[in-house]
Amino acid sequence: MISLLELTKTYGRGADSVTVLDRLNFEVGAGEIFAVTGPSGAGKSTLAQCINLLERPTSGSVVVNGEDLSSLPEKRLRAARRRIGTVFQSASLLSRRTASENIALPLEYLGVTPGEIKARVGELIDRVGLGPKAHSYPFQLSGGQAQRVGIARALALRPAILLADEATSGLDPDTTSSVVELLKQLRTDLDLTVVFITHEMDTVRQIADSVARLERGQIVETGPLVDLLTDHGSPLGRALQPRRGFAAADDGAATWYVTYDSADVPGDWIQRVSADLAVPIHLLGASVETVHGINTGSATLGITARSDEAVQAVLARYGLSGTPDARREATAGGVPVSLVRSGAVPALEGAA
Amino acid sequence: MSAVVGGAIYVPRADVPVAELPALLLPAYGETVLMVGIVMAIVLVVGTPLGVLLHNVAPGGLFERPSLHAVLGWIISVGRSLPFLILMASIVPFTRFITGTNIGIAAAVVPMSLAGIAFFTRIVENALRSVPPSIVRVARASGGSNLQIMRSAQFGEAVPAVLGGLTIQVIAMIEYSAIAGTIGAGGIGYVAVTYGYQRFDNTVMLATILILVATVAFVQVAGDRLVRWVTPQKRLQRA
Repeated sequence: MISLLELTKTYGRGADSVTVLDRLNFEVGAGEIFAVTGPSGAGKSTLAQCINLLERPTSGSVVVNGEDLSSLPEKRLRAARRRIGTVFQSASLLSRRTASENIALPLEYLGVTPGEIKARVGELIDRVGLGPKAHSYPFQLSGGQAQRVGIARALALRPAILLADEATSGLDPDTTSSVVELLKQLRTDLDLTVVFITHEMDTVRQIADSVARLERGQIVETGPLVDLLTDHGSPLGRALQPRRGFAAADDGAATWYVTYDSADVPGDWIQRVSADLAVPIHLLGASVETVHGINTGSATLGITARSDEAVQAVLARYGLSGTPDARREATAGGVPVSLVRSGAVPALEGAA
Repeated sequence: MSAVVGGAIYVPRADVPVAELPALLLPAYGETVLMVGIVMAIVLVVGTPLGVLLHNVAPGGLFERPSLHAVLGWIISVGRSLPFLILMASIVPFTRFITGTNIGIAAAVVPMSLAGIAFFTRIVENALRSVPPSIVRVARASGGSNLQIMRSAQFGEAVPAVLGGLTIQVIAMIEYSAIAGTIGAGGIGYVAVTYGYQRFDNTVMLATILILVATVAFVQVAGDRLVRWVTPQKRLQRA
């Protein structure tokens, strides 16, 4: 279990000081995957460096299994780092060492005997499914394989906490999925506490149990993933929904943006809404998926209805929430997202 | 060979016969190899840790000491900016203090080592700078001590770049040894200057040029091979 208590990081002094992290609090239990997301410059990398103790917080603390690690003296801090495994972006492997030798690095630093290193590395290599690649050099590995080496290296010292710092950024969607599956598997097998820092909302939906959004150094919203996804009023929930392009509505029809607003939306809701309103419904675009066994998503519909209120009432009957004119909807609620036709890149997802 | 003609000494121009070249050049070549060898040993032992230190006291290094970095960097830059001939002449009192003489191999080794250390320190610093900072973060997060990180992550990753720089360094030292030859340090440079230049002995001049070109070419090829051998991607991938 890891908790952050009033974690603050300030660079510089006096008038020129910049507060990068501002009194962050969260707690992640064993076996839980907690995602921290946010735009570029929100403080995600600094947060990662405070969690794996590469940076000392200005105030506040990082507590692992009841022990405050961030206030330890330098010498013990190095030992404390071993309790937190970090998976870095693009693995960052030593280019002149084989996969096995890279995984052995933390063990060598600790002073483990060569025999024990060999046994432990063999075990780790198998666990991440890289047996045949044990003696390959990084240039011979694909991005996904390299990241598996990075994960095995992070696990070498049997840490209680695994920190993934943009671990899947830069990987293609299939590779990302396989790395995500591996991390979920490891979480279950080893009862790991996972802090997953990323700007990729798609990956958050795949992996997280809970999510926090970091913005300008503060956690502006946090909660269980499913709750956020089914809460129409949640800006983070909406940011987590994929935004896809959609077709234009017919003349005279209004464009409705509809989100799953509860955990029990019936599968045939379009037909039911159409029947209740007694008008045809055009499906212009949609993205629906199951997260933790619950259907979530959004759809853009073309509806020629008597009144907006009637449509909203019918949608609410099936646990949905809708707003007419999808483009206007996007600017409502204070979310800095421009819902454009080509969709897909809301500001919240940001660049790396 | 010489005769007194009208009070003047007449020295007929005569090149060293080809058959006598080996007797002249081989010992000189041996002296050059010895000089460069001693200097390189000193340079490696002193310059390597100095380069690693310089890199890590710099901003962003493992133990930042900006003032120490500034002072060290300044000293090295001064050492690097003096032409070798000037450096050699200007530190004669120091050389004499260390070795008790200002001619011969021992005397040449002092200025060559100083210039070489400054040169190599920069080469090591530069090579370490090319190691991505993420590698050092990985090593720190893996629980490495500064010494472990410097050895396995920084220097380990920089080995090919250091060896590439080392090749350039050896060639520069051969050149310095020839300059040192002009103050009586011996070696192939000394022969080239006294026979080839001062006595217009074209045979000796040509022979020394050939030897130097061949030596430099050999060092370069050996260095390139070495770099290739320590870089897995180059070693294992056939072009």
